Amino acid sequence: MTTPTTIRDAAAALRARQVSSVELTRESLARIARLDERVGAFLLVTGDAAMTMAQQADADFAAGIDRGPLQGIPFALKDILATKDAPTTANSLVLDRAWADGYDAVVSERIRATGAALMGKLVLSEFALGPPDPTKGFPIPRNPWDLERTPGGSSSGTGIAVSTGMILGGLGTDTGGSVRIPAAVNGHSGLKVTYGRVPKWGCVPLGYSLDSIGPMARSAYDCALILQVIAGFDPRDPTAGDAPTDDYIATIEDGVRGLRVGVPGEYFFDHPALDPEMKAATEVVIDVLRDQGAEIVEVRLPHAAEAKEANTLTMVTEAFAYHSMDMATAKWVDYGTGTRMIIARGAFYTAADYVQAQRFRSYFAKEAAKVMAGVDVLITPSVVEPAQIVATMDMAKRMTAPSYSGPFNLLGYPALAMPSGFTKSGLPLSAQVVGAPFAEATVLRVGHAYQQATAWHLAVPPIVQAAVTA
Amino acid sequence: MPQPQDVRAAVRAMVEAAGLPVSEDEFEKFVEMYPTLRAGADSLYIEEVRYEEPALVFSPLAPAPRA
Repeated sequence: MTTPTTIRDAAAALRARQVSSVELTRESLARIARLDERVGAFLLVTGDAAMTMAQQADADFAAGIDRGPLQGIPFALKDILATKDAPTTANSLVLDRAWADGYDAVVSERIRATGAALMGKLVLSEFALGPPDPTKGFPIPRNPWDLERTPGGSSSGTGIAVSTGMILGGLGTDTGGSVRIPAAVNGHSGLKVTYGRVPKWGCVPLGYSLDSIGPMARSAYDCALILQVIAGFDPRDPTAGDAPTDDYIATIEDGVRGLRVGVPGEYFFDHPALDPEMKAATEVVIDVLRDQGAEIVEVRLPHAAEAKEANTLTMVTEAFAYHSMDMATAKWVDYGTGTRMIIARGAFYTAADYVQAQRFRSYFAKEAAKVMAGVDVLITPSVVEPAQIVATMDMAKRMTAPSYSGPFNLLGYPALAMPSGFTKSGLPLSAQVVGAPFAEATVLRVGHAYQQATAWHLAVPPIVQAAVTA
Repeated sequence: MPQPQDVRAAVRAMVEAAGLPVSEDEFEKFVEMYPTLRAGADSLYIEEVRYEEPALVFSPLAPAPRA
């Protein structure tokens, strides 16, 4: 049979004995062997361990033991999450390897317990923030749709690995867009969860009050399957929410008829930096949802541009608090060039600026709550533009560029990036579905409804087909 | 907060206060970047926020012990 491309299909095929976990895992390893040198998704491939896990999954199926939809599925973790059987680096020479030695992060523990075949540790932006520095000895991640372009960050390796089918699902982290941006530019789905929905214990911090760990997979449905495993309180994370966990699959087929979909035109659709093709594709998403019975409502989220500033300020200052003791030493040059320049910006804000950002956050949260009281979800573009050419990217320009992801980190809201088409030149486009706090089930339901009417999320980069047939 | 008249001196003071061993090239980049950074922070001092409490959470209860 053809290798399944989604977790949902693979899980069904495994249970129908149409494919084994060993076969799926072998295919994943073959793709990694053919492609990874060019696209740089993996820091470490744990092939032997993955095959052992796959054999165990098959043995369990044969014995009637079923641990749920991830059993036997090729899966991988961003290398910012502690794993007891592999080193954790945060893609940096600086992280003390002893910090994560010999234990699992909460999410690693939960994924491992599903019986998934863990393929290894995935590349990321250094400490979930810094651009690749070729002098540090780590793989350079590249966009599989165009190797000259960025795969986004910071969960770049997860984005590439899902896009190319090296894995069927993975985990990323999102502080200002780090799940959604790579999902958007690599052409698959990625869910930033509500702040506190998924425990962060065992994850290297970036911005303590913003960080979240979320699923990345081809479809919204697959993200729901992963979220079902990783969501829920754990006392080791003092910021973990103890709101009850929903059944994310139970309502995913309910469609959008009767749902109210808010469209915030200001900033999210009228900013001069917004790419016209990205905008047009998002408008088509809105049309599709309207055709499916959703009610479209124009809304206004005031001061969204300032929300991006508040998110950046909060992230950078919280990161600087974590890193300052290392940065004020000879380790300064062990950080990547771009990483240290971004984190060190935290030294230039005042303590009052940080408090003011949190006062702004209170204001913005109230305004957003008013908007969400009248709608079930918001739709925006996920990103301002498709993947950029790495050689022309400009850090200074990024400081003033708009962000469609950061404001929702500031709010702590859940948000799904989902493919919405391609540019004329063949680059993925993406739309974002934003929900109220802990309303992941609604967000995923909207994403799934859209993906039932479209197939953008199933598209595979040409480089994969070429490698598979070679 | 107004932009400092002497950005170079302000950046030098903040780099030294943080103890960052930056190169001259990096220092120049910080000098170039600082007005944009400052303007971003200043944009948050808006009238609507004047009487807001910060979104900071502190609990006087001791955190739960780690398992």
